Amino acid sequence: MSILSIENLCKNYGRVQALKGVSFSVAKGTVFGILGPNGSGKTTMLGIIMDILQPTSGTYKLFDEQPDETSRRKIGTFLETPNFYHYLSAQKNLEIAAALKERGANDIPRVLELVNLTQRKDSRFSTYSLGMKQRLAIASCLLGDPEVLILDEPTNGLDPVGIAEIRQLIKQLHQQGKTIIMASHLLDEVEKVCTHVAILKKGELVVTGDVNEILANEDIVEIGATDIQQLETIIGTLHGYSNKKIQDKMIQLFYPVGTTDVESINRHCFNNGITLNHLQLKKKSLEAKFFELTN
Amino acid sequence: MIKLLKIEWMKIKSYNAFIVISSFFALGIFASNYLAYYFKKNVIDPADPTGLISSGSPFGFPNVWQTVSYYSGLMLLLPGLLLLILVTNEFTYRTHRQNIIDGISRTQFTQVKLLMAGITALICTVLVFVAVLLFGFFVNTGSFSFSGIVNVWYFFLKALTYNCIAILIGVLVRRTGFAIAVFFIYTFLENGISLLLLVWAINIKKNHNIDLGNMGNYLPMNAADGLLYSPFATFTNMARKFLPSDYTWLVLALAFIYLALFYFWTQRRMLKSDL
Repeated sequence: MSILSIENLCKNYGRVQALKGVSFSVAKGTVFGILGPNGSGKTTMLGIIMDILQPTSGTYKLFDEQPDETSRRKIGTFLETPNFYHYLSAQKNLEIAAALKERGANDIPRVLELVNLTQRKDSRFSTYSLGMKQRLAIASCLLGDPEVLILDEPTNGLDPVGIAEIRQLIKQLHQQGKTIIMASHLLDEVEKVCTHVAILKKGELVVTGDVNEILANEDIVEIGATDIQQLETIIGTLHGYSNKKIQDKMIQLFYPVGTTDVESINRHCFNNGITLNHLQLKKKSLEAKFFELTN
Repeated sequence: MIKLLKIEWMKIKSYNAFIVISSFFALGIFASNYLAYYFKKNVIDPADPTGLISSGSPFGFPNVWQTVSYYSGLMLLLPGLLLLILVTNEFTYRTHRQNIIDGISRTQFTQVKLLMAGITALICTVLVFVAVLLFGFFVNTGSFSFSGIVNVWYFFLKALTYNCIAILIGVLVRRTGFAIAVFFIYTFLENGISLLLLVWAINIKKNHNIDLGNMGNYLPMNAADGLLYSPFATFTNMARKFLPSDYTWLVLALAFIYLALFYFWTQRRMLKSDL
């Protein structure tokens, strides 16, 4: 079953096209990351799915059905900012959320404990720090143990311990079989937490699929020799690399992570009459990959 | 809808502004009427022994229905203000978005606010009804009578109109301070324009002998206001033949038309816009 399917979704704000015909689907049981730089349309897309923004064109389905408030009730959603009544306590805000969701009224102590807010449950929301507000929003999502969670930048404003806790929580929920759709501009967050990813750039879908395939890191081996042309010729008979680039007096060889054997490259060149004057193994950073995909 | 009303109650029962404004309104109804009663008894009556300005007993039955409804109507900006704040709070805290995300429809969100306008108007009307009985039996100059109870119904209509205007302004403007300013400026402006329209209608009647009625009462707030007359309108009564007629049926019909307009405009705004 598809939890979410989006078909050719477009959204214009006046002349600005925030989403340009985005289509993809999210399968049950996945942790699906929506990755993109600021302003790429992640929150706009989630806003449309949650019916707080009107699409210019295109359709979407939740649980393979036309979406309505009943389908939204089955999802724990945290979108953009923690939205609560400032004059009410965490406890009372969660009581309202549970009443709206029609589930989780008895679950409030558990979710407050889960996000370490039990001690402050009777404090007004307006007295909370940004991190506490964020944690309360996550607690509200978890009310009634929903099968699907939609989280927009869930670790925003959290301290390093809080970030680690939330990521651990997402992994635990995934192990329990929950489906999690998570928007983030943090590449390493998506890489650490998600099983699948859709990358957005200026409102367009760049790529979607398995996170290990799309965000796979590559090892780069840089080699150099006095006779670069001969070096290029003998590299043609070398196996194992996926791609090569020639830069000035240097050749870059791209290998899947962990498959690089620098010694054998050196031996291959030497056996073919080339003495290398430069041999260096580099790790391609995730950031470089991200820039490659989104630029 | 009962579920949604319970949720609205959860939102407001601990809200200080709700407690303060409601208390002011409830006290204001009794205080404003008592003030009018006191003024009539201790200022007007001694100065006007012949009853030229005001004759009869405005706080005795059956006049008390009109008197209390009229003076209580002067307090109706308060519940309107409260509803305005409650609606704009949702936009300020962005909880209108969260309510919809968590599982109610845009239609339900709007309908429960408009239902709150109706319930608030009803509670205000019950208070007025109680005030009528208290003053009527307290002054006790005539036997109990339901004659004139239609004024309480007009009060309800006026309260509902004010509340719906407040909700519409809240939904359109969204920011609390700005919305409150728009609400009061609109009230002030409409009353000014209403007065100009009345003068125009008087001139048309005088110069062309065409009676278009009190055109000031054809505007949204004044349509509801125009149904409730001041019990001390002696000078207005004396000048009656120069004034345009009061087409009560027309004003009543307009009041209903405006209410329907407010309802559909509020709904449309919430259904069609980005939240």
